[in-house]
Amino acid sequence: MDRRTKLFRHRDPYDIPGTNEQFLAAMAQNCRYQYDHCPDYRRILTERGFSPDRLRGTRDLGALPPIPTLYFKRHELFSMPPGKLPVKATSSGTSGSRSRIGFDLMSLRRGADMVWRMGRYHDLFSPQPCHYLILGYEPHKSNQMAFTKTGYGFTFFAPALSRTYALQYRDGQYVLCLEDLQKRLLSAAKGGAPVRTIGFPAYTYMLLAELKKQGVRLKLPKGSKLTMGGGWKQFYAQKVEKEALYALAEEVLGIGEGECVEFFGAVEHPILYTSCPRHHFHIPIYSRAIIRDPETLRPLPMGELGLLDLLTPMVMSQPLLSVMTDDLAILHPAKSCGCGIPSPWLEIVGRVGVRDIVTCAAGAEQFLQGEGRT
Amino acid sequence: MILANGALYPDEALPEQLAALEGHCLAALQGPALPPETVIAACDALAGQIAAGAYDSAVRSFLEAFQIGEGAFRAALGLFRRESLTYQCTLAWGPDWRELPPLRHPGFQPIRRRRMPLGVLFHIAAGNVDGLPAYSVVEGLLAGNVNILKLPSADRGLSVLLLHALVTIEPALAPFVYVFDVPSTDLASLEIFAALADGVAVWGGDEAVQAAYRLADCRIFPWGHKLSFAYAEPDAAEGDLLALARHIRETGQVLCSSCQGVFVDTEDPAVLEAFGRRLFDALLAADGPRPDRGLAARAALQLYNDQLEAVETGRVILRQNGVSVTICPDRELELGRMFGNCWVKALPREEILPALKPKKRLLQTCGLLCAPEEREALGDLLARAGVVRVTEPGEMSRTIPGEAHDGIYPLAAYMRIVETV
Repeated sequence: MDRRTKLFRHRDPYDIPGTNEQFLAAMAQNCRYQYDHCPDYRRILTERGFSPDRLRGTRDLGALPPIPTLYFKRHELFSMPPGKLPVKATSSGTSGSRSRIGFDLMSLRRGADMVWRMGRYHDLFSPQPCHYLILGYEPHKSNQMAFTKTGYGFTFFAPALSRTYALQYRDGQYVLCLEDLQKRLLSAAKGGAPVRTIGFPAYTYMLLAELKKQGVRLKLPKGSKLTMGGGWKQFYAQKVEKEALYALAEEVLGIGEGECVEFFGAVEHPILYTSCPRHHFHIPIYSRAIIRDPETLRPLPMGELGLLDLLTPMVMSQPLLSVMTDDLAILHPAKSCGCGIPSPWLEIVGRVGVRDIVTCAAGAEQFLQGEGRT
Repeated sequence: MILANGALYPDEALPEQLAALEGHCLAALQGPALPPETVIAACDALAGQIAAGAYDSAVRSFLEAFQIGEGAFRAALGLFRRESLTYQCTLAWGPDWRELPPLRHPGFQPIRRRRMPLGVLFHIAAGNVDGLPAYSVVEGLLAGNVNILKLPSADRGLSVLLLHALVTIEPALAPFVYVFDVPSTDLASLEIFAALADGVAVWGGDEAVQAAYRLADCRIFPWGHKLSFAYAEPDAAEGDLLALARHIRETGQVLCSSCQGVFVDTEDPAVLEAFGRRLFDALLAADGPRPDRGLAARAALQLYNDQLEAVETGRVILRQNGVSVTICPDRELELGRMFGNCWVKALPREEILPALKPKKRLLQTCGLLCAPEEREALGDLLARAGVVRVTEPGEMSRTIPGEAHDGIYPLAAYMRIVETV
């Protein structure tokens, strides 16, 4: 059996000790495949003196050369003919350039296995039909952004009675329709079916704040959830804002903190991270996180701040084995959370570079904020 | 905080202050003119108070926040002293600046000439150099203008504090200074300022400059961002290389006068590489403030990516201890990777003009590393290509009273010559 199949069908999505060997075997198998089928990737490994045979122990994962997300934004690395891939996605491209990623059918199946396990573990599935409020883009064939697709995907955790989008496609463009969302909320509060919202945390906060301003106080039916997701940048340490958001959810919609669930993932690392009851993102068995020294890029011990490198053997169509994001993060030991999930959790601290940099060199601000090539 | 006509108001008073602004401006234009001596005396008094520590609580935290050393602070303060300001007026307006001699032409009565302010000057300040918004207003005041200042979003309150102190010292300046803390998105307010303006001084990147052109129908002074570099003979002296390396490390390559990279007078890749290695050694030997972790990470990530791309770009990267030199096969003037990470490129002297001309909008300072007998010829070539300052390699970011700004004296630019019979 394919090494990945075993890993992605493992019953407990956080059983890292029980799956270490499978993870490593799947990484080695996938690495060999990429090495043989993606000339650019082979060149990168060879230049850095790495061969797939070296992946023998967990420690060797840190030696596998990571590919920066920046590199994916400017290069298309494929190990299968891209035209034959059933699903393509682009990153949301807030910084101007986007990564184009494509997934093969087998990888998508692994993804479905993962979503199934994670959804089960976090109690996201429900047979009870519900209304979905999607604080994002209505799907349309012109829009390949991954968030649009995952947003739509999340509407299958429970049968959908309705899907209402904040950004609706009208006459060739997207328009913001907050009123539709409000109407749906007001009518749902009177009915029996629960409501689930899906959106970037910032959008969710805006919606709640707007409702509060208008004096809305609802008690949504039992089973209602606030689910939030988006790119990594949505999850920089904003503890205060998050707590304010949970308080607003309770006050405005009658949704308790325990029913506020967050997800994250990235196009270049399509693993579904789901927040625990303490709102921490634990590493599931499908991936590993390595924190690297901000200057030397060498792996750092747990608890130290550095560049976030994410590993997964999930995808065959592209060498997404080890992807270095431009986020600064800390990996914390499982115990320091206290929720009981036995795997370490990630704290995303922010993006490399800073906002209020003092510079008058032309193009420097954009460069330091990571907004593309100068 | 709003400063208008000498008084401070909370931001909530914006609607009333906007409504009153045109009246204030017109009254100031109709009232007594503002002699430069009055402005000079007030600035000198304020600089004295600051040097004596009167504003330490605000000034010190600002210096710390921006990692400005005592030396740089004293130099900046020196720009506001009487001698420095008087000197700047003389440079900008000529020795007879207090009174222009009349223009005489056969068959005409002598024509009286006067230097007059533009009128109302609208300053769109940038957040990148705090304290600079106040300096921009002082230049406008010296030229006799009524000044409306839009603060940058990152302003930490120092500009209002300094300008309020200034108009308190000399109340005659009060009708000439208006400071608003409105965001760049508040178009309605910006349109009011622009409509009143006879000139707009805009600081910042391309976006800010383009916004000013869209907004105002008058003279625009775009003090935009620039790129600086060094030009070297392959056998440049060791001392010059070290001085340049120190400059690169000390400024972190964040200033418009900071060296981003070095063009070398050669066509030979081997000569270029040898120079790159010498510069790399000099950078390793030089010292400078370490960037914070996020900035160091950005540079490291970018350089790692550059290494992965090297097979396509042909770049060779020398990298160690947080500094690097990238040896490039092209001759494009570009931003370095900053904080001790710069490029070297081959550019034979006869190619200087064609290579730099397309970058005319960005050119500013060039540090020159060559034998003394070459200085004149090379300096002239660089100037013809559009560079406005050719300096010693260690002095690219010097701040000296009387220097033109991007090739212009703002004090002259903010005035006009009026001829009357």
